[in-house]
Amino acid sequence: MTTTTRERPVTTSAPVTNLTRGRRTRRIPIGAYICAFILLVVFLFPLLYLLNTALKSQAEFVADPVGIVSDPHWSNFATAWNKGNFGAYILNSVLYTAAGAALGTVMTLLLAFPVARGYIRGAKFWSVIFVLVLFLPNALITQFQLLLRLGLYDTQLGYILLVGVGVGVGPLLLSGFVKSIPRELDEAAAMDGVGYWRYLFGFIFPLARPALVTVFILQAVWIWNEIILATVLLADPTKFPVTVGLYAFKGTYGNQWPLLAAATFIVAAPLIVGYIFIQRYLVNGVVGAIKG
Amino acid sequence: MADTFPFPKRTPVRVTFGIAMLLLGVFGFVPAVGVLVASLTDLRGLPGLPINFIGIQNYIDFFSPAKWADSANALTNTIIFAFASTVIQIVVALAIAVLLNRKLKGRNFYRAVVFMPTILGVTVTGLVWSLIFNVSGGPAASVLSLFGAHSAFFGDPHLALALVILVQVWMVLGVSVIIFLSGLQAVPEDLQEAAEIDGASAWQRFRNVTVPLLAPSITANVLLGIVNALQSYQLIYVLSGPNNRSTQVLSLLVYVQGFGGASGTTLSQSQGYAAAVSMVQFVLVGIVSIIALIILRRREAKL
Repeated sequence: MTTTTRERPVTTSAPVTNLTRGRRTRRIPIGAYICAFILLVVFLFPLLYLLNTALKSQAEFVADPVGIVSDPHWSNFATAWNKGNFGAYILNSVLYTAAGAALGTVMTLLLAFPVARGYIRGAKFWSVIFVLVLFLPNALITQFQLLLRLGLYDTQLGYILLVGVGVGVGPLLLSGFVKSIPRELDEAAAMDGVGYWRYLFGFIFPLARPALVTVFILQAVWIWNEIILATVLLADPTKFPVTVGLYAFKGTYGNQWPLLAAATFIVAAPLIVGYIFIQRYLVNGVVGAIKG
Repeated sequence: MADTFPFPKRTPVRVTFGIAMLLLGVFGFVPAVGVLVASLTDLRGLPGLPINFIGIQNYIDFFSPAKWADSANALTNTIIFAFASTVIQIVVALAIAVLLNRKLKGRNFYRAVVFMPTILGVTVTGLVWSLIFNVSGGPAASVLSLFGAHSAFFGDPHLALALVILVQVWMVLGVSVIIFLSGLQAVPEDLQEAAEIDGASAWQRFRNVTVPLLAPSITANVLLGIVNALQSYQLIYVLSGPNNRSTQVLSLLVYVQGFGGASGTTLSQSQGYAAAVSMVQFVLVGIVSIIALIILRRREAKL
């Protein structure tokens, strides 16, 4: 199982050494641009329509659901925010996502490094385990029963533990990356009297940062969007993550689309902004995970 | 295996590896293996009730005439959903990847936009599309009314599954596109141009040069897509609710049987039975992925 995390950037420039290329005159591929435009419409229209709806008053929406908003009601956002209690939900989601993904990433580091290096007995066996975690059955029932029996049902700790251990491709991805760090470095550090833990967190952690960031983000995106486990494992509405909160909001205000659209937009906006920053890690991470 | 261990003591390695593996074991593997055990009992949702070992009774029930209507419905929906969404996803993603592999202005932006729904997640995606398919005057309804038609969309039992598939494809397309794009990097340009000089048409070049070289990406995409689709239900849960028969897939049946207490289904809140449904799904996923892998590998070898 070798995994490459350091992918070539998706945009590689074509080799200019090719002679035929230079001679051919390039016309503007109009058809391709039309296709690209259609693509943008298919993916952006739903969000623009969401925003358009979020700015309408209920009366305007009922009178003309599809028309472009004439008199923007920015207050919808404030109303949705207050009625839906989204501040508290978002805080919960931030807690679950940060704690869960941090737990998963640290676990990934602690598991993958010694296995990739063969510093633990049965390294072959453990690397099979890393693959096996990807193919476990849907364990909704027993996850619930486990937390119930451990007294962790309806606790934030219980939910964080369950989403945190969802390491997915993490260990595979990281052990692939660790192999690109020379073994001599371990030996040199050990020679200088650096202990294992200090080496792992002081040397490997910064060196493997690109892979660890990808592992963290992949898991964070998954936890942030998780809804079913949260529905099953948490009963107290004050502990709900924003996904469950938004779904509950739909149950209450399902017939007031402008308000519901404003609420959906409140949840979507930080994701879109965050996406702009984490995009390259994600795209590379997905590719790296597949090649594993 | 070079098992030379450079550090002075092995204990720290064992301690931290042990703690991490213990966590993974208790919260990851114990529930997974527990599903098999629970599926052989009459486990209930409420704590304190006695648990009896009942052998394969839950599996017999799943295939019994009394339950078969529900089981067959969920099985059929799962297979249609997984098959249709994977096929559409692969075909559309391949087309988009070929398009976005060209040197268009702003292609990084197009790529980012196509991948975005992955970030938005099921709840936002589900609500956005509920709004689009809003029965009273949403955009989809408006388009239909231009032709004098109307539809109940997710309320229409013949249409609901198709719409769910459509939204699923929209949501997961980006991942496939990215995988194909990375595969396309491996298709050398000179090979394309050599084929062009030999007089191959655009379609012939695509069919005989690009597709064979993309075979590993296609394998990855099909497997990933089908395994995901066979197990996905969060989107359906948000779009059409857990109790909509026309879109009920196996995972939702697990949820409804285990936690839903839904009307219309017998033996609600029977978690032993729900665990058995999980196992049926697990076996289905296993069989389908092995078959898919064999077929795809054979094709890869042939190409």
